[in-house]
Amino acid sequence: MHYTFKQLNKGSFYCIQFQAMASLCEVLVETQNAELVYKIGCLAEAEAKRIEAKFSRYTNNNVCYAINNAQGKPLAIDTETASLLHFAAQCYEMSDGMFDVTSGILRRAWTFDGSNRLATQAQISTLLPLVGWQQVTLTDHTLQMPTGMEIDFGGIGKEYAVNCVAQICTQQAPDISILINFGGDIQVTQARKNKQAWQIGIEDPTFKADAKIKANAASKPLKTELAIKQINIQQGGLATSGDARRYLLHNHIRYSHILNPKTGWPITNAPHSITVATAHCIQAGCLATMALLQGEHAEAFLDAQKVKYWSYH
Amino acid sequence: MQLAKFKNINALLATATCSLFSNTVLATPLMNASDNSDIHNDNSWKIDTALMYYAETDRVSALEGIIAAKKDFGEEHILSGKLVFDTLTGASASGAVPQKTPQTYTRPSGKAQYRTPSNTTPLDDTFRDTRLQFNVQWSQPISEQDKISTGIQLSREYDYQSIAVNGGYTRELNQKNTAIFTGLSFAFDTLAPEGGRPVPLSAMVVDNTEGISGDNNISFKDAFEATRQQGGENTRNTVDLMFGVTQVINRRWIMQLNYGYSQVDGYLTDPFKVVSVVNDQGDALNQLHENRPSERTKHNIYWQNKAHFDEAVFDLSYRYSFDDWKISSHAIESKLRWPLTSSTYIQPSIRYYQQDAAEFYTPFITDDQPIPEYASADYRIGKLTTMTFGAKYLQELENNHSWGVRMEYYIQTPKNAGFEAVGQLQDLELYEEVKAFVVQFNYSF
Repeated sequence: MHYTFKQLNKGSFYCIQFQAMASLCEVLVETQNAELVYKIGCLAEAEAKRIEAKFSRYTNNNVCYAINNAQGKPLAIDTETASLLHFAAQCYEMSDGMFDVTSGILRRAWTFDGSNRLATQAQISTLLPLVGWQQVTLTDHTLQMPTGMEIDFGGIGKEYAVNCVAQICTQQAPDISILINFGGDIQVTQARKNKQAWQIGIEDPTFKADAKIKANAASKPLKTELAIKQINIQQGGLATSGDARRYLLHNHIRYSHILNPKTGWPITNAPHSITVATAHCIQAGCLATMALLQGEHAEAFLDAQKVKYWSYH
Repeated sequence: MQLAKFKNINALLATATCSLFSNTVLATPLMNASDNSDIHNDNSWKIDTALMYYAETDRVSALEGIIAAKKDFGEEHILSGKLVFDTLTGASASGAVPQKTPQTYTRPSGKAQYRTPSNTTPLDDTFRDTRLQFNVQWSQPISEQDKISTGIQLSREYDYQSIAVNGGYTRELNQKNTAIFTGLSFAFDTLAPEGGRPVPLSAMVVDNTEGISGDNNISFKDAFEATRQQGGENTRNTVDLMFGVTQVINRRWIMQLNYGYSQVDGYLTDPFKVVSVVNDQGDALNQLHENRPSERTKHNIYWQNKAHFDEAVFDLSYRYSFDDWKISSHAIESKLRWPLTSSTYIQPSIRYYQQDAAEFYTPFITDDQPIPEYASADYRIGKLTTMTFGAKYLQELENNHSWGVRMEYYIQTPKNAGFEAVGQLQDLELYEEVKAFVVQFNYSF
């Protein structure tokens, strides 16, 4: 275990911190009970790392690797993996095929480094046959998909981990408000005692972009606080999807790193970033991503969902 | 319009999210954590124990022990069971009218007598019983929105036994904001009262010979036996049907509306209750064993609201019921759950109940009128109002255990349902108030 914890805000809550899923992970616990915080810290970090180890595509000894290297054969999968993939399948259905966990393979053609290098249609055309959830056969215990296809849990993994940790926190401390924040994907288990909102900072991409221009003009180092937008959250989930740093600029068109699984091309004219608040973090994350997939209609999509959101262009 | 282009999929997504996290497998690979403290996991048995004491002033008292256990086998497959043991002692009103002179009555067993002093409501003090009740219930989902449950209940008393089975079906709709429920239960009861079932409206035989009435008093025994039913109905079957809707109105308010239908057939008379026959002076000439119809159809409507404020929970409910005995009743109950600290709460409650008398209820029968087909002087089916004041305190302990104490004070006020007292009865209290006190301790682990 590598987490640290400290008491903040005149001792009104504890803040647990650790690194997982390439993010700073924070768990804020409204208690004075250090022993409980110690226990929650152990469980939260272990759970986050368990999920990371299980679903990461950067390792070759986990379920994600096994799925992507099954060579077209049916593969036995555990219940948790099956549940998560069933969830992904439902997202695919709901988004009319736009939210697709098999679309990650298109990244072989695209490198989003802020440059102007677009992929060629030839590159894309060779990859497109390997994209499409409809080619996957999923049951409660098995998964089968054509050789060469890949599943990437990246679009839901971190949000899923936030909700799993939240669930553990609720079991451990059913009467205590706990905020889980994995790099901006957030869940609050229940409202705080005195109705106070949790205040947390999330990256504000517009602010950062503006500040960067201003900072360059003034040749001064940028203060980190400028990049952070303060938000208040009382209860529920919050997630952000965006392309603050990952995009291509070509002929004045900004190509987001969000790819349309049907065409293989990036979505254009989408907001830089969308933050959605709903009951569950994973639900918010999916809505934010589905909205970005609508490009310039992102807000219209979100309005139809009747959820609270913030979008930045 | 741009908006029309997009469907609202958020409801579907919320459902998908809920089903993703209702999967208990998520909680199981919990820990190879270095932590060795006790992880409370949902798969263990949850046990509730309670001890309750109920005492009416000068009348019945009861001591009841309850053990309830519940286990979630995962994915909402829940087994629960309950064992209740209670013992009752004390006296209850026999139905006979009070008199200005002491009276002697025969105990329902026919084996002894009891005397009631002057100006006192006649109480049969042989009321003594123990009851053992056991039930077990299973519930499980059959699809994402559908849940079924089934159970069995067995109850055994000294002079009574009962077996009941039930089944229920719940469907969640509208993003789990609405749930509809339908349930059906059948109960089969068998009665074997001590001293047998009296012949309806036969007069109580009282041995007025001096000395102890006993086995050697042949003529009394024969006379008593003549008032007992030979054969006949000693069972009672009940069918209950229920339909309910639970609706989440908003984040803070949840509402439930139920309709219940109940039909009972069989021996519904209370074998221990009598009705006095009085003359125009109000003097009790004799006591007739009561008689009730052998069928009863009840309807009830129940409406409950729970409002969740930031800390407190307010509960308000109303029940209206009516039946073909012409008993109709209204009950209003309100509770407020008020947290004192993060681990304790107090819950004051108040309940008002009002009922009209059954059409065959009569506090007495005058000797100048023909004896009706059905008659009962049991105050519990007469006109009455009840007020209950209660409070509950509960504390959650660090180890996920909790303890609590509940207290209730109860005042039952029988009313005159429009009968004119005759003779000496005008000076006597025919509708005596009953007060009761309940205290209950709970411990859950």
